[in-house]
Amino acid sequence: MLSVALLGYAGFAALCLAMEKHFKELLKHSPRGVHLRSLRWAGWALLLASLVLAVHLRGWAHGLVEWIALLMAGVTLWVFMLPYRPRWLLGLAAVSVVLGPLLGLASLMR
Amino acid sequence: MKEGFRQAMAWLHTWTGLIFGWMLFAIFLTGTLSYFKDEISHWSQPEIQRHALDPAHSLGLAQRYLNANAGSAASWFIQLPSDREPAISVGWREPGQGRRGFVSKSLDAASGEVVQARESRGGDFFYRFHFQLELPHPWGRWLSTWCAFIMLLGLVTGIITHKKIFKEFFTFRPGKGQRSWLDGHNAIGVLVLPFHLMISYSSLVLFMYMVMPAGIMASYGGETNRYFSDLFGRDVDVSSAGVVAPMAALPSLYAKVQEKVPGARMGYIQVQNPNDQNARVSFTRASSDSVAYRRSQSWTFDGVSGALVSSGAPESAMMMTSFSFAGLHMGNFAGPWLRWLYFVFGVAGTAVIGTGLVMWLGKRQLKHAKSDCQPGELRLVEVLNIASMSGLLLAVAAFFWANRLLPVTLEGRADWEVNAFLWVWAASLLHAAVRPGRRAWAEQLGLGAIAFGLLPLLNGLSTGQGLNHAIAVGDWAMAGVDLTALGTGLFMAWLARKMLRVPAPAKKRAARPAAPGKVTAEAEAN
Repeated sequence: MLSVALLGYAGFAALCLAMEKHFKELLKHSPRGVHLRSLRWAGWALLLASLVLAVHLRGWAHGLVEWIALLMAGVTLWVFMLPYRPRWLLGLAAVSVVLGPLLGLASLMR
Repeated sequence: MKEGFRQAMAWLHTWTGLIFGWMLFAIFLTGTLSYFKDEISHWSQPEIQRHALDPAHSLGLAQRYLNANAGSAASWFIQLPSDREPAISVGWREPGQGRRGFVSKSLDAASGEVVQARESRGGDFFYRFHFQLELPHPWGRWLSTWCAFIMLLGLVTGIITHKKIFKEFFTFRPGKGQRSWLDGHNAIGVLVLPFHLMISYSSLVLFMYMVMPAGIMASYGGETNRYFSDLFGRDVDVSSAGVVAPMAALPSLYAKVQEKVPGARMGYIQVQNPNDQNARVSFTRASSDSVAYRRSQSWTFDGVSGALVSSGAPESAMMMTSFSFAGLHMGNFAGPWLRWLYFVFGVAGTAVIGTGLVMWLGKRQLKHAKSDCQPGELRLVEVLNIASMSGLLLAVAAFFWANRLLPVTLEGRADWEVNAFLWVWAASLLHAAVRPGRRAWAEQLGLGAIAFGLLPLLNGLSTGQGLNHAIAVGDWAMAGVDLTALGTGLFMAWLARKMLRVPAPAKKRAARPAAPGKVTAEAEAN
């Protein structure tokens, strides 16, 4: 389920960065429209991927519940740590976006 | 028109939140603790040892004990040890004595001997308080169900009132006084909304039979018991034949269940008319095995021949829906990490209520910041805020301290633990009433920090099962309670320190006169 958590976390991070206000604040430069649009698409795609993975791994009943729980936990961590440790969170998001799909693929292979 | 509606909703949110917030805070906090009901019970009865699980062996021990000690009972109840509960629980009903004649014992899972554990309600106290509030039946259940309804109302009106639910989805700005409280309140409310909605809606589903009984009464008249028998698919009781007959070995019946559903964990095992020609043994699958309660997952055997008599009736789609909500609410299916997330979200729900109460008062106190005295009604809210939040935490700490300090052989010991909880809570109200606001907060939080922070030490000294021992033998239920207490202590110490400092927002307002107007205008919306 770690892969689901990482994918979900990365998804919300992307959705947050897709907002101009947060993009400027976190990445210290102004985004172009295409950046924001692709971040938004990437964010939703990551959330969808984590849902598919969760349901595939754990079935509908547990998968859906665990997916929502992990998503809520991830986004809460993001929002409440953002004012204090923005760089850590961005780093974690970067790690998640790489490690999440890899772990997800690994668990699908098994 | 639209603004008028929003304002009306804001009014409703503000005032129902205030009136029921204190009680909701207690309901949420004790409910959150209930996710670790079994772990707290284990902590409260350190005499019960944990052993590797061997269900068939434990069942054999239970049968041996019950045969020797309750051979003529009308019925037996057995609960096997699980990952969370170390002991075998057995209970029996003496013939012809009704509910009064119920006896229950904890047996050691390896030896089958009765464990002489200290009398304590443990996690069950918080669990019961969560929906019965220590009030006489049925008033506690009514009141808590009403609070659940208010919580649902608070969520809906909160969403309507929140103007920038998407725009400020990721927003939390600390260090800005009222603004930060509102940000925090909104962010925890919105980000954890699926949990909040599920928990308050499902509590209404759980007590549906009580809140909206019209449907049941129309179909069953006065015989509501028949409704529950039908709902849970209970068998009709078989009366005893009065002929003594040797019973099949329970582990062999357990093996038959395992053949049908390999790896299934068992909840209650009930034996009707033990050692009688008409003995019936029913196995119910543990609620930890599925999200929803499954009445179909039960098997009844003839206790003498060992033949399968009946299996649980299948669930309708409607039942699955309501059983799913019940299952989601109680989270019995959750493994360790998901259980921790449940706990965290429970804390989040408690925090939404707490921040709401603090904001209600903070906003109104700003208007009287210049004068020395505040109106009586604000002072009343302040006192109740302090007692219902930091006072409740102190009361919880008192329960745990009483568990370790009261003599093990004290008569009515379990009740004294509850009394300690209630008396300390009452004392915190008195203390809040006589001390100035910030001082009262700081003193209660500080005392709570000491009480929770020293709990692991007290546990180690009084039982020898402190963190060093518990972690070494891998008893994570025991260690988890200690570590959580330590964490709670540190958190309360941090809060107490914040309360002792000169209030920061007041200084800021003096420096930047433009800010407060904006802050209050925005806060006004909530």
